[in-house]
Amino acid sequence: MIKNIIRKLAFIPLLILSVEFVVAATLPNDITWLTNTSSPEWSSTEAQKGGLLRLNISSFPPTLRTVGPDSNNSFRSFLLDNQMPLVDMHPNSGEVIPMLASHWAYDKDGKTVYYKIKKNARWSDGLPVTADDFLFALAFNRSKDIVAPWYNKHFSEEITEVVKFDSHTLAIVGARIKPKKDLHYYYSLQPRAKHFHKLNQQWVSAFNWKIEPNTGPYKISKIRKGKSINFKRKLDWWAQDEQFLRNRFNVDNVLIKVVRDPNTAFKYFERGELDVFNLTLPKLWHEKANGPMFQKGFIHKLSFYNQVEQGASGLFLNLENQLLQDVNVRKAIAHGLNFDKIIQQLLRNDYQRLPRFHTGYGKYSNDKVSPLGFDLKQAGALLDAAGWNNKDQRGIRVKDKNRLSFAISYGNKLHEPQIIVLAEEAKKAGIELKPQYLESTSFYKNVIEKKHDIAWLGWSTGFRPAYWQHFHSDNAHKPQTNNVTNLSDANIDRLINQYRESTKEQERIMLAQKLESKIAAQVVFIPSTMVPFTRVGFWRWLKLPESIATKSSQSLFNPFHSTQGGLFWIDAKSKIDSLSAKRSGKGFKASTIINSDYKVTAP
Amino acid sequence: MHASSIQGQERPQGPWQKFKRLKRGYFSFIFLCLLILTSCFAELLFNSKALLVQYQGELYWPIFSSTLEGKQFGLEYDYETNYRQLKKLWAEDNSDHSNFVLLPLVPFNATEVDLEEGFYPPQPPSTLSQHYLGTDTIGRDVLVRLVYGFRIAIFFALTLLIVEYFFGVLIGCFMGFLGGAFDLFFQRIIEIWSNIPFLYIVMIMSSLITPGFWSLVFIMALFGWMSMTWYMRSASYKEANRDYVLAAKMMGASNFRIIYKHIIPNSISTIITFIPFSVAGGITALTALDFLSFGLPAPAPSWGELLRQGVDNLDSPWIISSVVISLSFVLMLVTFIGEAIREVFDPKHKIYYE
Repeated sequence: MIKNIIRKLAFIPLLILSVEFVVAATLPNDITWLTNTSSPEWSSTEAQKGGLLRLNISSFPPTLRTVGPDSNNSFRSFLLDNQMPLVDMHPNSGEVIPMLASHWAYDKDGKTVYYKIKKNARWSDGLPVTADDFLFALAFNRSKDIVAPWYNKHFSEEITEVVKFDSHTLAIVGARIKPKKDLHYYYSLQPRAKHFHKLNQQWVSAFNWKIEPNTGPYKISKIRKGKSINFKRKLDWWAQDEQFLRNRFNVDNVLIKVVRDPNTAFKYFERGELDVFNLTLPKLWHEKANGPMFQKGFIHKLSFYNQVEQGASGLFLNLENQLLQDVNVRKAIAHGLNFDKIIQQLLRNDYQRLPRFHTGYGKYSNDKVSPLGFDLKQAGALLDAAGWNNKDQRGIRVKDKNRLSFAISYGNKLHEPQIIVLAEEAKKAGIELKPQYLESTSFYKNVIEKKHDIAWLGWSTGFRPAYWQHFHSDNAHKPQTNNVTNLSDANIDRLINQYRESTKEQERIMLAQKLESKIAAQVVFIPSTMVPFTRVGFWRWLKLPESIATKSSQSLFNPFHSTQGGLFWIDAKSKIDSLSAKRSGKGFKASTIINSDYKVTAP
Repeated sequence: MHASSIQGQERPQGPWQKFKRLKRGYFSFIFLCLLILTSCFAELLFNSKALLVQYQGELYWPIFSSTLEGKQFGLEYDYETNYRQLKKLWAEDNSDHSNFVLLPLVPFNATEVDLEEGFYPPQPPSTLSQHYLGTDTIGRDVLVRLVYGFRIAIFFALTLLIVEYFFGVLIGCFMGFLGGAFDLFFQRIIEIWSNIPFLYIVMIMSSLITPGFWSLVFIMALFGWMSMTWYMRSASYKEANRDYVLAAKMMGASNFRIIYKHIIPNSISTIITFIPFSVAGGITALTALDFLSFGLPAPAPSWGELLRQGVDNLDSPWIISSVVISLSFVLMLVTFIGEAIREVFDPKHKIYYE
């Protein structure tokens, strides 16, 4: 008996130690709460609710998780777009606008942002969104149980901590000082429903097909495995009358169908079984999208110029190759690439030459930097100067028994025609480019281990220009880093360091501009093409606001995105009229609209 | 059978005479040989380089010489001359009648991109542009790519055949001749080896390395040598107990000599009968791999790649129809030859009943 008591008592200190004493942190006094109610809204007041939108994807998602194995698939954006961020950027002006948070404030340490979560914010199961969900989100993203090393690393190294002040007030502390507006982007964190997840080693398999609570306008209502997924509009969505979110997300149901073959998908679209089809590819826009449904005005065509960050795509020259170490050779290659011919004769003048590594970053882009054009005389003069004076039997330049020949590796067959035309033209400059197709995974491995001569690839975009990962000597001559050109230049390093450390927007802009021209002068990256627009075909019952879309819209019929999505609606009467006209063989006026409101003309 | 019927029969013929009598197979054989021969000299018929140029009284043979720059013929550029343009230029400008360009039958090469202002590839067949079967999606001549693609495919199939048969026949003969542990060991090896899914291996291999002609031959032979072993095993098993083999053994001939000098020549009919079908197999295998883009790297001309383009661009029917017709035709020729050979070596025609 006594022994038992002693045994029990012995546990008491342990118990006391294990109970967490949650002492609520206190908010500093010297912060100013900010909000934004003055920026204009971009939705249309004419929008009607109701109807069904049918879209297509090429394969059924292997999981409904948004992190962990197999989660990085094309379906994930539908799920992620239905998770609201704390704040967002106005799609036209770039100002900060409230989303889940009503107010925000900056700490003077330069890396902390405070947020007040809206009191009415609700998960799809009706429970309120609280600061605990953000604390949990950080722990979740750092957890080994989600089997997502990148997330683990990012949320451990970039975000220092999340501090809870009360149930609806929190702070996110970043690892490095950044300009105020940039903090929202670099240290963003989406909440995860704490009451829903059970983190343990089984999480990955247990949550494969669970429908996670979300904060956005739609939730999954029906899954037909391998065939389709239906999203239903939340009729009592907490944010439906909130500023910047009202009159949006109008259709009741969004059905996402799996159609594996793009040609088949286009046939479905022409038959009216899909409402929208992306027509960005020149062949689709100019040739295929001209059938009777287009001519009779049932399907409208719309091309919309936008201003978004353009991915840096083009040729990356590896300086580990002896021959490429000579800047004159690199310049000669740039002059020997006939991108004009590709744009005019393969891409039908639709695409534009990408001017530089960072394009579309607003003030951060250096518009004075443009790429070296096709010029065989220049190329010849440069090669002569570099000592490549002789030619072999095939007309390729030689020097000390070396041929001026490089493998140009690529990982996507879609780009093959362009590469073949470039290689044919480059022969005229006495440069041999040998196309080398590698299956995408081994292509990626080849490039990231820096075994390529010249790689044809594109990087995804960021919020601000990123120089360190691509051009700093810290990342040169090392595998598994993004400096795939192995550029290491003391002068550029110094500027990159300054750019990273600077917290003043003006200074950063100035440095970014300087860096852009310095990097362009090295000619380690030769820009290829960009698509400064989005093009779609859509059935006539779909309506868009007068402004059509926003400056940063990459898709006109995105159903869910917090700033660009849900601007369209379905005109029920028009749909009935159209369908009866289709049955009776009547038609309407064909419509092709090209909107150039946000077109940037070359300087 | 009565003696009279034996007397009435024709003199026994050699297999070649018999083969010649089978008209369908024989003509297919002649035709295929002609095709192969022509493809060997394709550079003279299908080439962007001119056969012969006369400029200011001097003769040039661009196909046989190293690259001739535009400057050579009074043009402004210092890269390879565009002979089609040169011909046009001299045709318009009649100042010097002695200048002329003699172009091959089809003045394009297999990798050359012919893009015209205002027209987007693929272009339909036209005698005016001399793209007799049109162009593909990048603007390369379909006919020229078919011809060079045929040359690669047929030589690929033949090389593959030689490599596969060399190992397959040798191992098979030894299995049948030696028997015992050697036979058992290889039987199991072959059983295991044939269960490895060949296509997956090729896909994995060609995603790790960029495949070339020889590496593809190597990979495919690695998984293709087994098919012949079983036939040769049973053939030599049967022959090994014949008197002539025993006689050779008694005279002290080595195993290798017996197989090489006695068994293989006596079972040659088995090998020859299979050859045409292996050739057809080789061509289709390469085409299939190219179709799935695991075959020869771009821009090598290939039937599989054309087929892929054709399937993706059914609205440009000249691509798909050219390649499908050519492929069926060549495979048909090979099959006719195969049938004829089988007929020639059919044991039913050889047996004399007593």
